[in-house]
Amino acid sequence: MQELLGRISRLDPSSSLGLRVIACFDELIVGNVNTRALLAAAAALAGCTAGFRQVDGRRAMRVTPKGQIDETAAPPQRDDLVVRAGEDLIVWLERAETPGANDAIILERLALSIRIRHGRGPRGLDDRRHLGVLTDRVSSPEDRLDAAGSLGLVASRSYRVVAAPLFAVWEARPAGPEDVIATRFGPIHAVVVPEHHEPFRASPCGLGVAVPASDLDRSFRSALVALRLCDPPREPLVAADAYGGLIDLLAEVDEAQHAYADTLSVVVEHSWALETVAALVTTQTVREAARMLNIHHSTLQARCDTLKANLGYDPLHGFGRTRLGTAFLLHRLNRSNVLDMPAPGST
Amino acid sequence: MHDGTRTDVPRPGFDAELRAGLAVVGGMFPPTITPDLIDFMRISYASPPMAEVFDERRIDVTEVSFPGYQGADLGAAVLRPCDAEGARPTVLYAHSGGLMFGDKFSGVDLVLDWVTRLGVTLVTVDYRLAPEFGDPFAREDMYAALEWVAARAKDLGVRRDRILVAGASAGGGLAAGLALAARDRGGPRLCGQVLDYPMLDDRLLTASTTQFDGVGVWDRISNQTGWQALLGDRCGGDEVSPYAAPARARDLGGLPPAFIDVGAAEIFRDEAIDYANRIWQAGGDAELHVWSGAFHACDIFAPHTSVGRAMIRTRNDWVEKVLAD
Repeated sequence: MQELLGRISRLDPSSSLGLRVIACFDELIVGNVNTRALLAAAAALAGCTAGFRQVDGRRAMRVTPKGQIDETAAPPQRDDLVVRAGEDLIVWLERAETPGANDAIILERLALSIRIRHGRGPRGLDDRRHLGVLTDRVSSPEDRLDAAGSLGLVASRSYRVVAAPLFAVWEARPAGPEDVIATRFGPIHAVVVPEHHEPFRASPCGLGVAVPASDLDRSFRSALVALRLCDPPREPLVAADAYGGLIDLLAEVDEAQHAYADTLSVVVEHSWALETVAALVTTQTVREAARMLNIHHSTLQARCDTLKANLGYDPLHGFGRTRLGTAFLLHRLNRSNVLDMPAPGST
Repeated sequence: MHDGTRTDVPRPGFDAELRAGLAVVGGMFPPTITPDLIDFMRISYASPPMAEVFDERRIDVTEVSFPGYQGADLGAAVLRPCDAEGARPTVLYAHSGGLMFGDKFSGVDLVLDWVTRLGVTLVTVDYRLAPEFGDPFAREDMYAALEWVAARAKDLGVRRDRILVAGASAGGGLAAGLALAARDRGGPRLCGQVLDYPMLDDRLLTASTTQFDGVGVWDRISNQTGWQALLGDRCGGDEVSPYAAPARARDLGGLPPAFIDVGAAEIFRDEAIDYANRIWQAGGDAELHVWSGAFHACDIFAPHTSVGRAMIRTRNDWVEKVLAD
């Protein structure tokens, strides 16, 4: 895998190998794999033997990049390639030459995953894990505040979560605590930024609503919805703020995981349907929408009549407008493919 | 917790270690390969420099040329242990790469143990690639290599009575096709065929073909891209040779013993199982391993994992059984 990492950075020098290492160990932690598997992954990523030992010497294991138990004599330990994994465990890499560019992150993630596997638990031991607690809806507000404190976030201030896939392209990175969070849409790169933050650009990227530190799980969910509404290159970054309270409703529906009815499916057979709905929900009047679509307003009126007949409500009046807007966003979420890994070399 | 994608199609999940491997592999081998990605794949899947590995493992490598299909001058490499003498058991190897990319050293790491531990002479071939060279170039280049290996047995250090064909993925399909062609044409007698997750069927009809869209390595679209590149308009039709798509062979009797392995979580699962089953029905010898949680070619991309190691070990044991002195 070390060789694969090398290939990836040759193919795309801007790619973040550190994030791939993190995503790799996240899968191992989630998959609850054993010590040998963790050491094998570290060794394979580093291209040299990886080891672990309990400080009292009761258990030790060294594994080669091929996943075999290393039976050769261990070389003298190098101080720069040893990491403590809690009070009584250490992990290391056995490399003769200069440390590799990814050694630090590999050791950090190996230490974390070994600690968890050996029941030491992640809490209080690794700052980066706090972000998982902070963005998880099932953790309590108290736990989230603890985690926020450990990350240097202040309880009385407001923050947002920035969410992006690992393959996102960034121009100027926002500063703040960050980690890769496993979600049902795959690993997501999350960064916590102050409510009023320095400008940055990323594609695709969702910007969550501003919340107190104890509610950052809600901001993360809204950021995920915003991210999934992105449509690069036309709309590379979506801010949840653009949809106000609606974003929370969308996030709830999105979380529910069961297939919700896509009420626009009855009209999408009309080739004009989606752009017409998009114009209607982003303008005030039929005339304005017609101008945006560059069609005569009587043509648009005819389309609206068709929509009304197909949908079973008038999309231009009362709650009909709201229903149409909500249906439009749900339809986009349902069809979102922004998190599908783009073909390498296509960006 | 999640398997990385949304899906409506039920499918077996990937093993946790392999899922972790995919977080890395995905950067150079996308799940879905369309024709516009062929150029990218030729760069990303090109074999890395191997000289150091061969050196460390004390393998002697001779670059040779041989007459391919229609006499074209083609390249191959002959790998032997440094201290080898005389005629050795021999493997003719067809590399992976979807018929469109890869080279004679792609994935060859996994078969070097045969050279170092069993003292095998391994001949690996740069057969010609699609779409520039459609069917029958790849398979007839391989067949020409087989005839050349048998004819030059003495110079190459080959035991004529112990030649095995092997290949992975597209190469596995080519190896299966070689065994069929050698049987039908009265060619060199083979002592075995190793078909690693072989690409056998251009018709894309099996259930497993449609189970893994957009995930893992080599999905339905990638497979379609490969077969289309090889066969063009003939793809899926009535005119496809069983030497190109061995699943189309009517008769699987009289073949050398087969070793077939495949992942439970890959599109080739059903065609590999079916091929083994049809060999048994025809009274032949086949050993089939279906690896739970395995994506396509996971032993090439993640040999350090417990599934990867088990696949490699099991295959090596079988090769030792049929090939070793």
